[in-house]
Amino acid sequence: MNVVVCVKQIPDPAVPGELDPQTHWLKREGKLILDDSDAYGVEMALQLATAAGGGDVTLVSMAPNGETSGLRTALAMGAANAILVSDESLKGSDALSTAKVLAAAIKRANPDLVITATEATDGYTGTVPEQVAALLGLPSITFAKKIETADGKVKVERQTEAGYDEVEAPLPAVVSVTAGVVEPRYPSFKGIMAAKSKPVDTLTVADLGLEGQVGAANARQEIISVTPAEERQAGEIIEDDGEGFQKIVAFLESKKVI
Amino acid sequence: MDFTESEEHALLRDAVAKVARGFGHEYFQEKTNSGGKTDELWDALGELGFLGVGIPEAYGGGGGGISELAIVCEEVAAAGCPLLLILVSAAISAEVINRFGTEEQKQAWLPGLAGTEKMVFAITEPDAGSNSHNVATVARRDGDVYRVSGTKTYISGVDEAPRMLTVVRTGTDTATGHAQLSLLVIDTDAPGLERSLIPVEIKAPEKQFTLFFDNVEVPADRLIGDEGDGLRQVFFGLNPERITGATIANGVARYALERAAAYARDREVWGVPIGSHQGVAHPLAQAKIEVELARLMTAKAAWLHDHDADRKAAGEAANMAKYAAAEAGLHALDAAIQAHGGNGMASEYGLADLWGMMRLLRIAPVSREMVLNYISTTSLGLPKSY
Repeated sequence: MNVVVCVKQIPDPAVPGELDPQTHWLKREGKLILDDSDAYGVEMALQLATAAGGGDVTLVSMAPNGETSGLRTALAMGAANAILVSDESLKGSDALSTAKVLAAAIKRANPDLVITATEATDGYTGTVPEQVAALLGLPSITFAKKIETADGKVKVERQTEAGYDEVEAPLPAVVSVTAGVVEPRYPSFKGIMAAKSKPVDTLTVADLGLEGQVGAANARQEIISVTPAEERQAGEIIEDDGEGFQKIVAFLESKKVI
Repeated sequence: MDFTESEEHALLRDAVAKVARGFGHEYFQEKTNSGGKTDELWDALGELGFLGVGIPEAYGGGGGGISELAIVCEEVAAAGCPLLLILVSAAISAEVINRFGTEEQKQAWLPGLAGTEKMVFAITEPDAGSNSHNVATVARRDGDVYRVSGTKTYISGVDEAPRMLTVVRTGTDTATGHAQLSLLVIDTDAPGLERSLIPVEIKAPEKQFTLFFDNVEVPADRLIGDEGDGLRQVFFGLNPERITGATIANGVARYALERAAAYARDREVWGVPIGSHQGVAHPLAQAKIEVELARLMTAKAAWLHDHDADRKAAGEAANMAKYAAAEAGLHALDAAIQAHGGNGMASEYGLADLWGMMRLLRIAPVSREMVLNYISTTSLGLPKSY
């Protein structure tokens, strides 16, 4: 079974992010790393391919400046190859443009299953997986906390607020996975050395036939203004006179937490 | 000259850091204080092939060198878990066996060392510290065995390893009176071998022992390389030991500075973070510079050792790296403790407990004074005093 995993390479979340003052786009000039939330999808894909008796895990990513650092991390974990779409004209793409690019790249790999994270850790739109599925005309299952494949079907336990739904779809399908679906492995030294020589197919917008359909000019959204988040206020201090717990309970009730 | 870290080195550094930071200094402290061992961390590193990065692929290793091992060793220490046994097991024992062992010996021991097994190293004796010519632990050939008698001291981790690479005297050079040395791989549970714990003020899970060999029988096929050629072979393993020793100091220094900088950014006493006071900031900045210089020399020393180009340059760089790393490390840890004020002494802040380890690195694996002797004579051509 061949699985495609959509992976995003993002600025290191440990370093405070910066927005371009003119465009309000996230600055993505430095070295990018594999989004941690995608490590779960890569691990899931590797496990599913093994359980199915073999097949390749292909990474699909869109990133500026031909960035491959994050892809190498996932290749070191065991993915077989990667398709990277990198093109100056993709700057300022909105979620739908991103989905168009990913969908066109995924088609080339012709997979049995597509796995994504629920959302990226830098953008948090959380719409790309469903858009990719729609563009590919494939069933979409979101928020998977457990995935099995058998007999041409994917069976998913889908996280809900109350518990989980058991859902099933014919393959190929697009499934977004939550953090915690599986514990991602650490790359071994052999994996790291092997990753060096694994193929990364770098494509442009023209290669995908998407000229004039993506990028800032075709974005259907524009960031008008950005306001800093409100500064956190100092908390309320309550002296415990033996009845302090009641105040905690009252506070939690007022917030409808309990 | 390219100082950009290669993609695979960066990946290795990142992967090791992730594994080791999953354990962290609290784990290290907990194991130390309870008398436990850091087996879970060691095994996690070994299973991913990180302890065997320098062992050839033919024997189950990663096919890298000391440069890769230095990255592993530093990142583990930078996570607050300085593992001294990497020095004796992966750096000395594995390097020496790989370089001088027979095919059978390599097949027998390297695959284990490429995984989670340890092999410790015994050279120091009560009457032969830095002067290896005085080694008095004697191995006498008796048919197809050696019989070993004598005493070794400050031998680390004997309780954690099934075997140890041991420096023994197999003869005496009649002209100089110097010992003719050989290397034997001896089982740590061999009959006639007793050990006694040396209480030390280093807070680490690894323990040091004095060993008493009373006519210990060692099969002759446990001899590494040629009989009498041990000193040259040991010297080959000492550079990796110095380099990895430097990485322990560099790693702990990075850990301490990371902690101190975070503390100095957050802690406010007069309404501003204490890190905005130059009296706090400058000692940390100075330590940062010294540590980065030491790391640079350490990386150079590892590169020279791996490329096997210029033995003299490799020896000089390994000694300089070890010296610089220990001095910079002590300054860094001291500055980090000072920046914490009284908290610097609290166990919770995880700094002062590393002082014994860092102070040890000024003495071992080679003392500051022996490094200065070496540089005086080798690099500056000054006369030898001993």
